[in-house]
Amino acid sequence: MDRSPDGLRRIWIGLIGLALAFALLVTAYVQWRQYELLDGTTQFQSDALGWSFFQLETEHLRLRNELQRALNDKPGVNTPELQLRYDVFVSRVGLVDHERAAHVMDAQGVYAPTMARVRGFVRRADRYLGETPQTPLNAAGLRELLAELDTLSVPLHDLSLGASHLLYEQVTQRNDAVRLQSKRGIALTVFQCVLLLVFAFVVLRQFRALVQRRDRLETLAERLSAARLEAESASRAKSVFLANMSHEIRTPFHGMLGMMSLLQETSLSAQQSGYVHTAKESANHLLAILNDILDISKLESGNLQVVPEPVALARLVREVDALMRVQAQGKGLALHVSMDTDVPRWVHADATRLKQILFNLLSNAVKFTPAGHVHLKVEASLKAPDKVLFSVIDTGIGMDAATQARVFQRFVQGDETASRRHGGAGLGLEISRSLARLMGGDITLHSVPGEGSTFRLELPLAGLAAPAHAGAGTVPADLAAARRLKVLVAEDHPVNRAYLEAVLDKLGHTAVFAENGEEAVRAVQEQDFDIVLMDLHMPVMDGFAAARAIRALPLPRGAMPIVALTADAFQDSQELACQAGMDEMMTKPAHLPQLRDLLARYGGRASGAAAVEHAAPGESGGDIVDRATVEQFHASLSPHKYALLLTSFFEAHAGTMGMLRDAAAAGDRHAVRDQVHALKGAALSLGLRAVVEHSELLRRASADANGTALGPLLDTLERQLLITRDLCQSLGWLPAVAPGRTVG
Amino acid sequence: MDAKIPAMRSSSPIRRRLIAGFIAALMAAPVWALDAPAGKVLLTVSGELQQRNTADGAAFDQAMLEKLPQRSFSTKTPWYPEPRKFTGVLLRDLLAAVGGRGKTIKAIAINDYRVDIPVEQAQRHELMVAYLLDDKPMPVREKGPLMLMYPFDSQPELRSALNYSRAVWQLKALELR
Repeated sequence: MDRSPDGLRRIWIGLIGLALAFALLVTAYVQWRQYELLDGTTQFQSDALGWSFFQLETEHLRLRNELQRALNDKPGVNTPELQLRYDVFVSRVGLVDHERAAHVMDAQGVYAPTMARVRGFVRRADRYLGETPQTPLNAAGLRELLAELDTLSVPLHDLSLGASHLLYEQVTQRNDAVRLQSKRGIALTVFQCVLLLVFAFVVLRQFRALVQRRDRLETLAERLSAARLEAESASRAKSVFLANMSHEIRTPFHGMLGMMSLLQETSLSAQQSGYVHTAKESANHLLAILNDILDISKLESGNLQVVPEPVALARLVREVDALMRVQAQGKGLALHVSMDTDVPRWVHADATRLKQILFNLLSNAVKFTPAGHVHLKVEASLKAPDKVLFSVIDTGIGMDAATQARVFQRFVQGDETASRRHGGAGLGLEISRSLARLMGGDITLHSVPGEGSTFRLELPLAGLAAPAHAGAGTVPADLAAARRLKVLVAEDHPVNRAYLEAVLDKLGHTAVFAENGEEAVRAVQEQDFDIVLMDLHMPVMDGFAAARAIRALPLPRGAMPIVALTADAFQDSQELACQAGMDEMMTKPAHLPQLRDLLARYGGRASGAAAVEHAAPGESGGDIVDRATVEQFHASLSPHKYALLLTSFFEAHAGTMGMLRDAAAAGDRHAVRDQVHALKGAALSLGLRAVVEHSELLRRASADANGTALGPLLDTLERQLLITRDLCQSLGWLPAVAPGRTVG
Repeated sequence: MDAKIPAMRSSSPIRRRLIAGFIAALMAAPVWALDAPAGKVLLTVSGELQQRNTADGAAFDQAMLEKLPQRSFSTKTPWYPEPRKFTGVLLRDLLAAVGGRGKTIKAIAINDYRVDIPVEQAQRHELMVAYLLDDKPMPVREKGPLMLMYPFDSQPELRSALNYSRAVWQLKALELR
């Protein structure tokens, strides 16, 4: 709309500019001509002609006078005055007798004949008065000359007048010419002014149009900015709404899921059980979709934060494997997990989000693979340092190029025809890739239809030093499946073994026992365990060495959880345990609730074993025996079992005192220390406090380099043993049986 | 400077010699002394001047004019079709010779034509009292014997009607005022 007036205006400006330039040129030419005109007059001197003719006439009259006087006074004498007058007259003739004058004056036809007559007179007069006079001047000559001169009067007068009039004409002509030039000059100037004004006017208009356009653009920009702000706030409101609503939705959801879990615990018929199971599955599915929606909304509004923390990659991968295994096995697929040795042990990453991506990729792989295997490969990237590559390779149905291009888009699934069968809302890959990109990496896809697909997740993960303390297990309760665990217990003391067997059985887990570190490592190599409870002080190979050996194994075994069990809870032991690769440390005695929580964290069933309150130790009971421990024993196992354990304890340690004395006498303080430590451990489990205390004293003394006398301590210990036994007997915990006989 | 010679009153030999030397010195500077004209008087200068050799003022003949510094130039004039060579004495040199003062020179011609010329113009430009036209003396009928000429060619700004009217032919006399 602005085009044509704008273009028109430009043409106008151009034209006016040209006209101005032309006018300027013309003016310049006119001025130059004017100057030339004025200058020309001084060259040609035509105005002097009038004066010359007048002079001629005057001198002619004077000559005539002189001739007359000469005639009157002294004829025949050539007086100087006459000569002078005649010479002057002749000199005047020369002034008018030339081409230029002829040219100018001859319009009237008077000039030429007159000049001829004048010349004739001069010729005749020259005979008397010329430069070389031939005849002396006499009266007759004088009269003759006078007569001739008289005849010249009128013509000369006419010439004079003519010249005068010519002069006036010329002056008038020149004035007219000058006036005309001036008029032209003024006209041109006025024209130029007009043009200039028009030009200025047009330019002003153009300028105003530009200003208007700029104003319009500014207004538009403001409106756009306002619209953008509105849109942003609308989007933010949507995100807030979604965040709020999600919370509102999730709360009853968890309630619903909790209730259904509880329902499952009650006695149900097979049909009811089936219904509840299906309902729970649907609810979980719905929850997963809701989480996806929330993630997408957070990613879109840029609110999703990735919270990196130190993560043990091996354990994370193992957890993922543990959870996916069930799903894979359910479909009859093999799930392999491998990790290269040059992948850093500890990295800085958001464990939750990383697991989310891996779960998504793996579950997709399982979904779209009817048969074969799914392989999770973790390796250090060859292309760039500090980058870790997670590859999920499956032998599934694959994708063609078209599907590959679209698969990361929202709601697109790998196999449209069977989308209903595969389930899911199609948001997973979009979320995974967005998360990967948020973490500074990316997901790429390579697939061959009919052969399988490979999803590659590449992340920048630089290696870290192992942090000072090992965190607690990061498996959140709601993702862990509650199940029966296979536990390996490495414990050298039989009493403790027996105790742990009882406890684990009560908790509903399977226990396998090793007597030392070496057996434990062998057991791990042969069988698959969910968790290892490792005593730290064992013969042959202690707990630290065993843990290191297990950690050296390939995944997933190498990453299995190892929990240290020890009687002393010193800070350095904890650090040593962590450095050896153990995940946690637990102090003995390991009470049932503690064990239950521990195992629940690692996937054990959080089932309702007897909810025994963990009474604070040392509350009741005497110095000899820790009543609380004993009562717990009674409650969790049975008094009978406890009695058996006590009996076996005293039997086992019947000869311990003798061995201790021998070792002390021999000066073998190491042996003393080890024996006493074993004694203390067992006593601790059984709650025999006095024995524990004095064993500790003895142990410290034996470790003392000063070589304190052990004899008195040994005596005290023996006495405490006897006292304790008597007490137990009196309390009825020990059957009153003579030593030497075992209880069947 | 008065050229009157004081009468010899004393017979002192030294004084005599001094006076003789003085006279000799005076005689040895002929340019600045004005003699009486020997030949026909061509130009009479009257009015405010210091060097006189007549009752009215200073009279010059051809010889006296030739004694003054001579000059020549060629110029085109409105009265001759081609440029002509004029030889003569510069007006300012003439004025210096007569010790002329005043602001205006009235130039008078034989036919009683008169015109005023400002002394300043004479001082600034090379106005000439010319007595030779193309190295030949000018008879009266050739607008001679003396012509007051302007160097129109060498100084074109002098080309105006006013100056043409001041270029007097048949110059007879100069009155200094």
